[in-house]
Amino acid sequence: MTANRQPRTQANAESRIDAALRRISASAPDPGLEGRILNRLAAARLQVDASPSLPRRVPRVLAPLFGFAFAGLTCAVIVGGSISHSRRYHPGTVPAPPALQLPGTGVGAASAVHPGAPASAPVPAGPAARGRSSHRGAQGRARIAPQARKAPGVAVPAPPSNTPQN
Amino acid sequence: MSCFEGQLAGWMSPALARSVDTSPIVSQTTSQTITGLVAEYSTALYRVAFSVTRNAAEAEDAVQEAFLRVLKHESRLAEIRDYRVWLVRIVWNIVLDKKRRAKTRPENEDLADHARGLASCDRPADDAFISSQEESRILALIDCLPRREREALLLSAVQELTTAEIAATLGTTESSIRSRIFRARRELSVLLEKEGITR
Repeated sequence: MTANRQPRTQANAESRIDAALRRISASAPDPGLEGRILNRLAAARLQVDASPSLPRRVPRVLAPLFGFAFAGLTCAVIVGGSISHSRRYHPGTVPAPPALQLPGTGVGAASAVHPGAPASAPVPAGPAARGRSSHRGAQGRARIAPQARKAPGVAVPAPPSNTPQN
Repeated sequence: MSCFEGQLAGWMSPALARSVDTSPIVSQTTSQTITGLVAEYSTALYRVAFSVTRNAAEAEDAVQEAFLRVLKHESRLAEIRDYRVWLVRIVWNIVLDKKRRAKTRPENEDLADHARGLASCDRPADDAFISSQEESRILALIDCLPRREREALLLSAVQELTTAEIAATLGTTESSIRSRIFRARRELSVLLEKEGITR
């Protein structure tokens, strides 16, 4: 009984599957599908022709070539501009290093006087120069103005004139 | 070719003549070729699209989009050996893309298609309605099948396509298609039995 039922169920399933698939094969478009497609194609064609863009005119193969050419040109402009800029602000002549003054009796370059080295003897100040002592008073000590601002918390001794003498 | 189609083909030809690299004669030929393709394959392509979308409007939209792509690649028309397989493949890719984007299959069921089916049946209305519901359920179960089996089974439902054409569309061999269809039907029978539809 079960053995008979199995093929029957199988056949029933097959027929139902066929019926469902037939629904797909029997599906038909609404009338006038071809006309609608052709209308849309014509509209698309007209739209493309009304606004021809640059990429459509340039063949697709040439697009990468244009890209590479543009990139190369940009690089050349950047490098050229950079070189031109550096030459304008740093002329080709590099300043010569200061010449060593070789002493007449020295043994060689080790005993030479370098122009940038500190002087071995005190250098007198010129007449227009302002020395450190310009702030000093008559007694040789710098005077501190009473209204001068001090950092808070710093103890400052009073001026000598106000200090009581023992 | 109807008068309307001829007129449209003539209308399209001057535009085609201005296109990239083709002479007017070649353009006119291309235009006529496209018009001929529309006349010959639009219904079969609609069925291919309908097998996936199950919605008349979406299927028609897919077919129109397919022909727009044909128009876009009109320069390649001369290289195509089998127009039917080429077009079916285009439509197939379009509907699969659409399905991937809109993952909600049940909402796409078209009630107008149900009504169309009911009106065309010779059976009593109640029987026809139950049968229609069953068929919808079976089609929903087809969507539960593995991808390869499902695709082979759906394309086999389109009577215009031979096994060789289905194989070319899916990029496999005919024997593979036959075994996929066999497996799909067997698995579907098991699913139907579980659902109690076969009784």
